[in-house]
Amino acid sequence: MGSITLRKEVQEQLERIKTADILVGIPSYNSARTIGHVVRAVHAGIVKYFPDKKAVLVNSDGGSIDGTIEVVNGTAIEDFQSILLHHRIEPFFKITTPYIGIPGKGSAFRAIFEIAAALNVKACAVVDSDLRSITPEWVELLVKPVIENGFDYVAPLYHRHKYDGTITNSIVYPLTRALYGKRVRQPIGGDFGFSGSLAKFYLTKDVWNTDIARYGIDIWMTTEAIANNFKVAQSFLGAKIHDPKDPGADLSAMLAQVAGSAFRLMETYRDVWKQVKGSETVPTFGFQYMVGLEHVKVDVNRMLTLFREGVKGLREIWLKILGAGDFGEVEALGTRPDPEFRFPLQLWTRIVYDYALAYHKRKLPLEHLLKSLTPLYLGKTASFVMEVEDRGQEEAEEEIEKLCREFEQGKEHLINNWT
Amino acid sequence: MDDFLQLILEPMKEVFSKFKEFAPNILATMTILLVGILFARIMKAVLLRFLRAIKFDSWSDRMGLTVVMRKGDLWAKPSVAVGSIVFWLLLIISLLTGLSALKIHAIDNLVAQFFLYLPRAFSAVLILVFGYIIAGFIGRAVLITAVNSGYHYAKLLAEAVRLLLTVLILAMALEQLQVAPGIVVAAFSIIFGGIVLALAVSFGVGGIDAARRMIEKEEERKEVKKDIEHM
Amino acid sequence: MGDFYQTGVITTLHNLGKPSLERLETELRHYSSARPVALVLPALYSEFEGPAMPKIIEELSKVKYLQQIVLVLGKASDKEFKKARELMSPVPYEVKIIHNEGKRIHEIYDTVRRNGLDPGQDGKGRSAWLAYGYVIAEGKADVIALHDCDIVTYSRELLARLCYPVVNPNLDFVFCKGFYSRVTDRMHGRVTRLLVTPLVRSIQILQGEHRFLKFLDSFRYPLAGEFCMITDMARVNRIPWDWGLEVGSLAEVYRNYSPRRVCQVDIAATYEHKHQALSADDPEKGLMKMTVDICKSIFRTLASEGAAFSDGFFKSLAVTYLRNAEDTIMKYEADAAINGLIFDRHEEAKAVEAFTRAIGVAAKAFMDDPMGTPLIPNWSRVTSAIPGILDMLKKAVDEDNR
Repeated sequence: MGSITLRKEVQEQLERIKTADILVGIPSYNSARTIGHVVRAVHAGIVKYFPDKKAVLVNSDGGSIDGTIEVVNGTAIEDFQSILLHHRIEPFFKITTPYIGIPGKGSAFRAIFEIAAALNVKACAVVDSDLRSITPEWVELLVKPVIENGFDYVAPLYHRHKYDGTITNSIVYPLTRALYGKRVRQPIGGDFGFSGSLAKFYLTKDVWNTDIARYGIDIWMTTEAIANNFKVAQSFLGAKIHDPKDPGADLSAMLAQVAGSAFRLMETYRDVWKQVKGSETVPTFGFQYMVGLEHVKVDVNRMLTLFREGVKGLREIWLKILGAGDFGEVEALGTRPDPEFRFPLQLWTRIVYDYALAYHKRKLPLEHLLKSLTPLYLGKTASFVMEVEDRGQEEAEEEIEKLCREFEQGKEHLINNWT
Repeated sequence: MDDFLQLILEPMKEVFSKFKEFAPNILATMTILLVGILFARIMKAVLLRFLRAIKFDSWSDRMGLTVVMRKGDLWAKPSVAVGSIVFWLLLIISLLTGLSALKIHAIDNLVAQFFLYLPRAFSAVLILVFGYIIAGFIGRAVLITAVNSGYHYAKLLAEAVRLLLTVLILAMALEQLQVAPGIVVAAFSIIFGGIVLALAVSFGVGGIDAARRMIEKEEERKEVKKDIEHM
Repeated sequence: MGDFYQTGVITTLHNLGKPSLERLETELRHYSSARPVALVLPALYSEFEGPAMPKIIEELSKVKYLQQIVLVLGKASDKEFKKARELMSPVPYEVKIIHNEGKRIHEIYDTVRRNGLDPGQDGKGRSAWLAYGYVIAEGKADVIALHDCDIVTYSRELLARLCYPVVNPNLDFVFCKGFYSRVTDRMHGRVTRLLVTPLVRSIQILQGEHRFLKFLDSFRYPLAGEFCMITDMARVNRIPWDWGLEVGSLAEVYRNYSPRRVCQVDIAATYEHKHQALSADDPEKGLMKMTVDICKSIFRTLASEGAAFSDGFFKSLAVTYLRNAEDTIMKYEADAAINGLIFDRHEEAKAVEAFTRAIGVAAKAFMDDPMGTPLIPNWSRVTSAIPGILDMLKKAVDEDNR
């Protein structure tokens, strides 16, 4: 590994800067429209909350063709006076580097970790480049717990629309919580804070040619931090509003990469999660407040259609993975009329665990296995949307809490069958 | 009277002398055969003892080779199966060697042809085995992708693809075996071409509406649709 | 049974009021669609020629909530195996008979043995273990019920009550043991009455309360051969292949699951099956062997939980047990008297003497070899040693049944 991902001019910049206290990384790809705002917010945050610290901003770019890098370099900070900053400013450096590796966030992060290690920083944060709701406070919320309270990993906590983040709500959060015993609500949030030592730890793992380098990087970072007993906290950041992801982005591929990364990590850390019973909360920073969220349209019909098509078309595959009992329940579910369609939480729990087991036992080629989860996931999502349609944010959260408890109780099934 | 006797004895003498010529060959063949059988038996016994000593059966169980045997309803111990295969192989070789000792030209030819044919048979088997696995893999990939895209006839499509690939594999194997190669190629071309043609026609005819709708949808898609964010 | 007292640390399900079989079976049919049930029957061919089997087959034909029956046929030739299949044909749902003496199953045992795992000797334990493997291999059943094939007083109600606590998803039981009163014109069940209960209580007197003994003592009929469990348990529990089967199985349940999820259910007003001849002298035969194995099983389980045994302890145990057992005889004499049952005090006393000797034999065997456990490795262990074993087993049984 070493510094092969860092270009020569970057190397020179690093030699100039030598060391730093804080590093904020922004991975980007064709984010010229939004990245200016992000850079300004980050800079303002550093200046306002860590005026006496030496900070570096790293933009790790995936080969943008819309001038992202130029925007970053050219974002002047002339108007920071209006953001109430009157403090003396320590030098603030900007490094812009394209990264090498599989296109995706993970490769961007690797470059960021390497720079962090090279500069021996104490605390780092990474934020998405398309955030519209980022404020200077985010920098404080992600970095302060590391610098002042000695935490190694700070996960984000957002106030999201009850329909958003369904992959987190129905798979990643309950699974991670039941497996590793920590209630990190947004394990794949996308904006994190972490310590320099954790960054160095991440670099010791050789995962950069796998799914983890794509959509799996977030779950990987969170799981590695929890499973290796780093001190974990979460910070409330407010609403997360970003430019909508490319609608052409394949849900099936996203789901497969995230779930696949989670399952793969289960293999590495089986001795850890087998011992864990129940779960505990993690320290939470930030002042939690309600945010007004815009209404979201959902095409439940399409999801239900895809689910039912799955029952028809993927019958043999699901039988193999779930067994006749659970598949029978899924099949029965498919015949239920739309308004009554409710996915039983226990059944969903067993399905996720069965998929983890099937992944472990290589019952199918892994790519096929993970992609076959999509119709089931859509069924669960449709059911959740209909269930909480008339409910408020807190009640929707209760529903997710119920699911988490099911995951914790059903863990025994996972342990018993994991040979 | 003497001539008559001569008439009878003459052909018999000929046969007898021919037989005398031929006899050593037959004897040689029988000897080779017997020695071969004995040798095969001994080798089998030795091999069995060796395999037992290195715990071959246990290794085969753990590697999954035994499972393959069982799936084919073969319930002998793996070491015994290997021993039997070796036994029969040695037997066949000794048989062929014995036959060549007969020095009958026609048989020699057959034997030579048999040995030439073996590699082809082997590669045909390989084609079938790998082809089967690949056809299954691709068929399943098509199925999952089609289902995830919401395509109503996903299963049909996947089966059609698998069928196509199977036909292809079979044709390739038959071609290797050189079984009526001209006919196989012709038949394959007709079947394959026919299936492709049928798909194209049905797609075209049945798909006119769908194609129109797809093009319209693409235009719609250009405006960003706000849906829930899964991530 | 007329009361509703809850004994010990497990849940006791009584026969209260007039429970309707039809309601029970309807509920079972409904629940079993989500939690399919497989019935395992360890049987000897001789039982097919006995008085109980025809009735059992008839009753089972009427049951509508079973996914399949897996019958393990022991001591049968190929011809007898075929005959057994014919005899089971009235059952309208899937029946698979495992031909224990057949060449395919022999090869399976051999495969397990040559990979360093010991499936033990022929017997009910090993048969049950094999059947569990098949049920796991098929992957269709979530619940496994098991009972013997020599129950003369068999009825569908027995099976329904046995399955219900585990199949009903609202009750959260992982294991359910049957109990009954073995009474005809006299009290039977000598080993339970005169060995297990006094022995368990004697050990507690000498060593103080012990959680496992409390658990064991909660069972009204710990030696019952009827129980029901979730399939996951079949993967994880190690089964004793000797006569300590029932007690050893309870020990495994205790080891792997919480007593909160264990229950016992009253499955029959009367229950009768074949009696074991008490051969008081030969420790290898019949009841004597059974008794010795049960004692060994108890000692070993306790030792593995940390209890310490010494020669002095066993000497005291013999005395305490004898005293306890004699008290127990008196209690039963009274019980028999008021209910007009035949009671032969001499026979009972002879049995207690034999049991005392058995305890001595078991104690010696235990002290000589405390680590020797006649436990068959669980299926999790076997499949991790031989990954394809379940596929092989499934193929063997399916082919035998073709």
